[in-house]
Amino acid sequence: MPNPEKFPFREMTVTLEGGKKLTLSKETLSAGLQYGPSHGYLPFRNQLKRMVEQWHAPPRWAESDLIVTVGNQDGISKALDMLLDPEDFIVVPDPCYSDFLCMLSSLAPQIVAVSVDDQGMRPDILQSALEKAISSGSTGIPKALYLVPNSCNPTGTNMGEERRQEIYAIAQQYDLIILEDDPYCFLQFNDKYLPSFLSMDVDGRVLRFDSFSKVVSSGLRIGFVTGPPPLLQGITLHMQASCICPPMLSQVLIHELLTSWGDEGFKKHISDICQFYKEQRDAMIQALKTHLTGICEWIVPEGGIFVWLKVLHLSDTSAMLLERGAKGDIVLVPGREFMVDSTKPSPYMRAAYSCVTPEEMMKGMENLAKLIQKEIELQSTHT
Amino acid sequence: MKYSRFLTQVSRNRQPSLIREMTNLLAQASPELVFMAGGLPNAQMFPFQAGSITLKDGRALTIHPKLMMDCLQYGPTPGYPPLVKQLKDLTQQLHSPPRWAEMDLIVTAGSQDGLCKALEMMISPGDYVVTQEPCYTGTLSILKPYKPRYLPISGDQNGMCPEALKAALSKWKPEEVQDTEKDVPKVLYVNPNACNPTGVSLPEDRRQEIYKIASEYNLIILEDDPYYFVQFGDRKDFPPSFLSMDVDCRVIRFDSFSKILSSGLRIGYVTGPKPLVERIVLHAQVSLLHAPAMSQVLVSELLKLWGDEGFFKHTDAVQAFYLDQRNAMLEAAEKHLSGPDLFTVPLCH
Repeated sequence: MPNPEKFPFREMTVTLEGGKKLTLSKETLSAGLQYGPSHGYLPFRNQLKRMVEQWHAPPRWAESDLIVTVGNQDGISKALDMLLDPEDFIVVPDPCYSDFLCMLSSLAPQIVAVSVDDQGMRPDILQSALEKAISSGSTGIPKALYLVPNSCNPTGTNMGEERRQEIYAIAQQYDLIILEDDPYCFLQFNDKYLPSFLSMDVDGRVLRFDSFSKVVSSGLRIGFVTGPPPLLQGITLHMQASCICPPMLSQVLIHELLTSWGDEGFKKHISDICQFYKEQRDAMIQALKTHLTGICEWIVPEGGIFVWLKVLHLSDTSAMLLERGAKGDIVLVPGREFMVDSTKPSPYMRAAYSCVTPEEMMKGMENLAKLIQKEIELQSTHT
Repeated sequence: MKYSRFLTQVSRNRQPSLIREMTNLLAQASPELVFMAGGLPNAQMFPFQAGSITLKDGRALTIHPKLMMDCLQYGPTPGYPPLVKQLKDLTQQLHSPPRWAEMDLIVTAGSQDGLCKALEMMISPGDYVVTQEPCYTGTLSILKPYKPRYLPISGDQNGMCPEALKAALSKWKPEEVQDTEKDVPKVLYVNPNACNPTGVSLPEDRRQEIYKIASEYNLIILEDDPYYFVQFGDRKDFPPSFLSMDVDCRVIRFDSFSKILSSGLRIGYVTGPKPLVERIVLHAQVSLLHAPAMSQVLVSELLKLWGDEGFFKHTDAVQAFYLDQRNAMLEAAEKHLSGPDLFTVPLCH
């Protein structure tokens, strides 16, 4: 270990919203600047464990553990490295979070794609897809099932409680590890928290990935994983060899923040951000209704930051958005990016309403309507 | 050089994340563009507004609200642009890589994460790896899951012995292995300065010989150099890095701030041929996304405040401290551990 006396930083103070100042003590700053344990800064881990126990009351809590990761996506990436041998199967919803598909494209496992409805993965399709995989004669086995149960990226849908129980039961039947990716769990607009897969995990088969990116900071790169110790151990060993430990200063700052807030302060902050994103959603729906009625279809999201739009009279949105969108002053992500088979055309688009003002949304949707009209005309001149 | 030869199938499979690539559209777009493609959270909702860091020399780094947003929001995978520029300038100044235009530099979450991703980019299970012996345990931990066939190269008080390296590689004919992809060594790992664990440094002539051999056998040289800034002696007498002699564009160099600024911030940087650095970026894009932003901003602001003069004044002070530590350690060792052959390093034969 390098001698921290030679590190040039002596003191650190941060100002929080509302003007309150947090000054890191000498010991705390020192901890923030030195190597730490690979599974996370201990006071922070203990704090997170208390929160997870409180929110989820995991049925096998005594046999669970929690580690801090460099953003929740790094945890997911290392979980896939740990679980998937070539030939193994992984179950994903279709459409699926595009960066997750990107991770899979390098490992090239066999993908079991399961179509979704307004609650996410369909259990009947899941069941038949797994049967097909098992009887395919492959040497690989279905190992894991990935989903985003709240405000799914890209569809924005929430999976209901009954549906979650059905999916859990199927995972039990086929002995799958469930990768519960839940970065939007705090961004729910109805004060209704659906029970997590972790909270129903009687077998110890859930790896739950939490994130501070939408709630406290994305740039600090802090997430955490809860689950069975033997699986967390696999991820921790990989962490040890790569980043050595999650960024210490980031962990120390979030720990100090959560301590300063207490449970009440945390609840208030969540309430404030939900209020903000709910207003953003409402403005977005207003903009959609104003300019895209009859042109697109959409489901109103109950949380999160995305709306999943379907263009009624186009078979594919990719060329329109990637080649002509910027000139038309509106950029959304083409739906094809999220489809397991990205060669097939997709009439869908994902819009994020997190960072645009209501005025920009109105203008953007007006631009989008014009862009779609032009594209429809362009398509009809070709046919 | 043909770089695809060095890549594993997994690395070759990597594709850019379209959403990350789409943020590049912002750079060229008109101010009228309504960008709704990124999944960024709204940074105004992050609870930290501003900050201040006092340095040990009494000066302060101020994180005003706009800079705090840079600390808290997602950033580009290759690194916080001001820091990347500063590090590129520093690297060019210190090493003048002969093929700089064909190289790139990225910030990583500690230099070991860069090293881990570089090895994962090139090593498949059972592959050969040429390493110094003894070798840094962190590197061995990265490699362990791949069960590589090690070619351990012994050394003496001047580090890795070129003769031993030649001998280890002699079972292959250089002209036969240049383009061969399987069952031949393709990677050489070395700590050129203050090697972990032996503490020895390679003098210039050895580096040149090792480079020449690596060139003959078409090996990528992984130059892991976390102690570069705390080498003892005058900076102008530092032996040239492998990067500085890299006429073939075969060196990937790993630098670290862990020994001089902070280990806990997790900031290091990788310099290497563009096609290989790009593969590391693609891996980072789908895993940690980027090195911690606040850490990068702090290092950047500190380097800006210090300028070159301040930076080297600091590294000189750190070096002087560790020199005193070393002398005290040697004194203690002399006093309690002296005896025939107890801490001499055997010469290469």
